[in-house]
Amino acid sequence: MTRRIDLRRVAQYGVVVVVAVTLNFLLPRLMPGNPLALIAGVDVGMLAPEQRAEIVARVGLDAPMWVQYLRYWGDIFTGDFGFSFRSSRPIVDMILERLPWTLLITGLSLVVSAVVGVLLGALSAWRRGTKGDLSMLSGMISIESLPSFWLGMVLVSLFAVQWGLLPSFGAVTPASDLEGWAHVWDIISHAILPVTALSIVGTPGVYMTMRYSMLETLGEDYIRTARAKGAGERRVLFGHVARNTIAPVITVLAIRLGFAFGGTVIIETVFSYPGLGRLVFEAVAGRDYPVMQAAFLVFTAAILVANLAADLLYPLIDPRSRTS
Amino acid sequence: MTATGGEDRAIRRAVRRRSRLPTILGVAGLVIVGALVVTAVFAPWLAPYDPTERIARPFLFPSAEHPLGTNDVGHDLLSEIIFGSRVSLMVGLVAATVALLIGTTVGVIAGYYPKRLGSTLMRGVDVILILPFLPLLIVLAAYLGRSLLNTILVIGFLIWAEPARIIRSQVLSLRSREYVLAARSMGAPDRWTIIRHIVPRTALLATGSFVRAVSGAILLEAALSFLGLGDPIQKSWGSTLYWAQTRGAFLTPAWKWWVLPPGILIMLASLGFALIAFSLEERINPRL
Repeated sequence: MTRRIDLRRVAQYGVVVVVAVTLNFLLPRLMPGNPLALIAGVDVGMLAPEQRAEIVARVGLDAPMWVQYLRYWGDIFTGDFGFSFRSSRPIVDMILERLPWTLLITGLSLVVSAVVGVLLGALSAWRRGTKGDLSMLSGMISIESLPSFWLGMVLVSLFAVQWGLLPSFGAVTPASDLEGWAHVWDIISHAILPVTALSIVGTPGVYMTMRYSMLETLGEDYIRTARAKGAGERRVLFGHVARNTIAPVITVLAIRLGFAFGGTVIIETVFSYPGLGRLVFEAVAGRDYPVMQAAFLVFTAAILVANLAADLLYPLIDPRSRTS
Repeated sequence: MTATGGEDRAIRRAVRRRSRLPTILGVAGLVIVGALVVTAVFAPWLAPYDPTERIARPFLFPSAEHPLGTNDVGHDLLSEIIFGSRVSLMVGLVAATVALLIGTTVGVIAGYYPKRLGSTLMRGVDVILILPFLPLLIVLAAYLGRSLLNTILVIGFLIWAEPARIIRSQVLSLRSREYVLAARSMGAPDRWTIIRHIVPRTALLATGSFVRAVSGAILLEAALSFLGLGDPIQKSWGSTLYWAQTRGAFLTPAWKWWVLPPGILIMLASLGFALIAFSLEERINPRL
């Protein structure tokens, strides 16, 4: 039962962190033009030389490159991401207040696309080659080509504007002091459209993984053995196929969760949803580089956590991997 | 007896239908892509107006002169969308070429020298695949600035990892084939073996990943332009939607002619290449 954590994986995650942080450090310093504008957010041309020197010293750009680099690491470990150019607020605060909204809609949409994708994928593989399977497959290939932002815009046009069923933007009704269930419903009704859009674009990936993974299982010898000894279809499907297919699919799901996080940049922009993704868009639009960078690190961390969770979950679901 | 006979026939029919599907989808993909290429090439003749000229009042509803109305500055939307096919196809094709060049190089080297060099390279590929893709794309595009070339480079440099992986696994198996061993044992230099025996045999697989990369790159270009990170001078479908979003067109009846057409075209363009890729992949490695 005791499984030693794979050191190679841990090393790999370590490398990812180093790459992400180093990229963040180098980007503003390697870009053409004066890095001061990108790091301190000031218009360099407008300053007197002594003012400029003062700012250079304050943000530490006068130190040797390696000292700056070490300081940068120190800042990250102490959770200091600096201040936003635009709002002058600590970036950590901005991220923490946006994070719950993003977690809400990504979490919900992942559940929806996981359930729908796994069920349809299993059905498709079970009825391999039939009309149902092939049309489902073709449908999923088409959904994969849907631009998510456009899907979001169309959903708003139809459900919010045309039919007036749901709110078109935000996470709560502005300037309303709803309480209790009315407040909960307010949050739900705002989340429905973004969650729908994210769920739709998230489903084909799960479906494809489930379908292929199950087709592989169906071809295994033990399935033929189970059939040969007279096990009923239902018993084969749930007792043998499903149990052996679900482990790799759950790993894929955990990894998708990390990436789904990054996909919210687009969906939250369409719905003006006040999450982390929208924060990135605002930062890009306002050239607020430090916020952009901090958000990038948070997204990286999310993916690593999801991967780590998958690594730890896998042996619990699939006992075969414990012995190896 | 009749029951099994019927079952047999059903299975045979299913198998036939299964093997026909990739062909049908592949042809559909070719038709879509062909139509888009024609549109892009003949855009100046097909478009009724110059898409960069203010030819009418802004926010016009569709009419005989302007089948899709006009945008917020009085450009003809139909002409804008016809010209948009050029950006979409160009970014898709060139970015995928960049990705394929890097991917093939890394994949062939990593597959041919699987020990030290290869495993180090693949570690690097794994790291790239773990990084948060979309945020990285956006951050890079924001730093580099808005131009067509930057869009192409950023996309191309971020999507080569998957082709590299696919090509590497093919090279790994080619490497131990008899004719490769024969060439090597007769003292053929590595470079000659790779160019003469390895690379040509990855061509089909490489074509598959190239077409899939085009499909992905088209969607990424649209997303970048939609976020306002595309070339401000070039009219692309993504930027048409960016302005529709910024000017709130999707909150008015204008969504039917301003929002629907460019989105459907983005989807068709990406789908066309995805269908061709699917049909190629099924031919190489049937998984239906």
